[in-house]
Amino acid sequence: MVNLLSLAVPFAYITVLIGSLAVFSSLYRKRKALKAASLEPWFETHEPRDLYYSLQHHQGPEPIPNNVICSALLLRAKEDIRRVMVIRSQKQTLQQLLQRGSINDDVWTRFQAAEAELDTELRDVVSEANSLQENWGQLIFQTANEIFNHERLRERAKKAAQVAAEENEWWAKKRAQIQKELGISEEASDSDGVLVEPLGEKVAAAKK
Amino acid sequence: MASDPDTYTHHPLLFDPKDKTLSLSHASPSLSKHLNELNTLSKSLSSLPIPIPPPPLPVSPHRSAAIDKLRTSGNNEFRKQQYSSAINYYTMAIQAAQTRPVWEPAGLMRDEMQVLYANRAQAYLGMGCWPEAYADADMAVDMKKIQNPKAWWRKGKALMEMGRVDEAREVLKDGLEFGEDQELRALLKEVEGKIDGRKGKV
Repeated sequence: MVNLLSLAVPFAYITVLIGSLAVFSSLYRKRKALKAASLEPWFETHEPRDLYYSLQHHQGPEPIPNNVICSALLLRAKEDIRRVMVIRSQKQTLQQLLQRGSINDDVWTRFQAAEAELDTELRDVVSEANSLQENWGQLIFQTANEIFNHERLRERAKKAAQVAAEENEWWAKKRAQIQKELGISEEASDSDGVLVEPLGEKVAAAKK
Repeated sequence: MASDPDTYTHHPLLFDPKDKTLSLSHASPSLSKHLNELNTLSKSLSSLPIPIPPPPLPVSPHRSAAIDKLRTSGNNEFRKQQYSSAINYYTMAIQAAQTRPVWEPAGLMRDEMQVLYANRAQAYLGMGCWPEAYADADMAVDMKKIQNPKAWWRKGKALMEMGRVDEAREVLKDGLEFGEDQELRALLKEVEGKIDGRKGKV
């Protein structure tokens, strides 16, 4: 009787201790998992990927021709290239910020998850490419990279046209203003080409 | 966590067998942008014997030859001081360079465009169209920064002619950082002279 009672106390102590530790650990893990699940993804939805699979699973009277499916995969690969570049350019900065404590662990977890996800995505694309055409997997990212760079160049060219239009507008206003100040009539200056003279000289001429 | 790699969002795409294009009844702006891109690319792929683009190299020489021809014509017109006709040739060549098939090397397109934009900038300078010259030279410089003193000079010159001497000075200094050049130096001196002259008067 005495023996049992003296044993019950330490047993109860151990049970409570282990029980509370178990409860704490399970709660802690659940909360951590929930937090990780609620973290925002690093990238926006991969729309080219959605389009590619939508085409693969397309059900309609007409079969989707191969060139459309191949284009969809190429555009998916192009988006992956953009993502690879983003990840590469951000990695070092993020590491430094993490070391300095400027960003919290959540950001870093999100980033690492995105990196891992991109890795599987790249492998996925290669195997899809190989299933469409033998050995295309070795080539698809090379081509996608060219497409990506082409697009950037075309966008830059568009910007050049925009710059020209904006500068033109500014210059027309400026020219009108200078002519007004100098009292030159539009026609005269347009025909004799005074307007090609730089502003500095014009101001100087006016002051003489 | 982020999206599950085994799932995707299904879009009920419609395929038009006549013009071989895809469409979606309710597409967000970004989605319709992707669809447009897809339709353009599939159209250009349909011209190939198999729908797989060939490797970037080797390149078929036809387009490069055509661009070269247009550029030479432009240069000839430029020498005759027929600036607007030179600009026309350069613009056509730029068009040809820009419509190069997307699987061909983008580096090649960059090189061609860089030269063409720089040349067109010079023709615009010849006509006194400073804003256009500035935009073209800016583009040329953006595509090739080092060993491109001519384009830097043209950008600086256009700014100077528009009276924006401070900007011109910055541009010329930037250009000199990418390589020493006598003419660039000379123009910088001229611009600095103008800045000093302006200060002296105020």
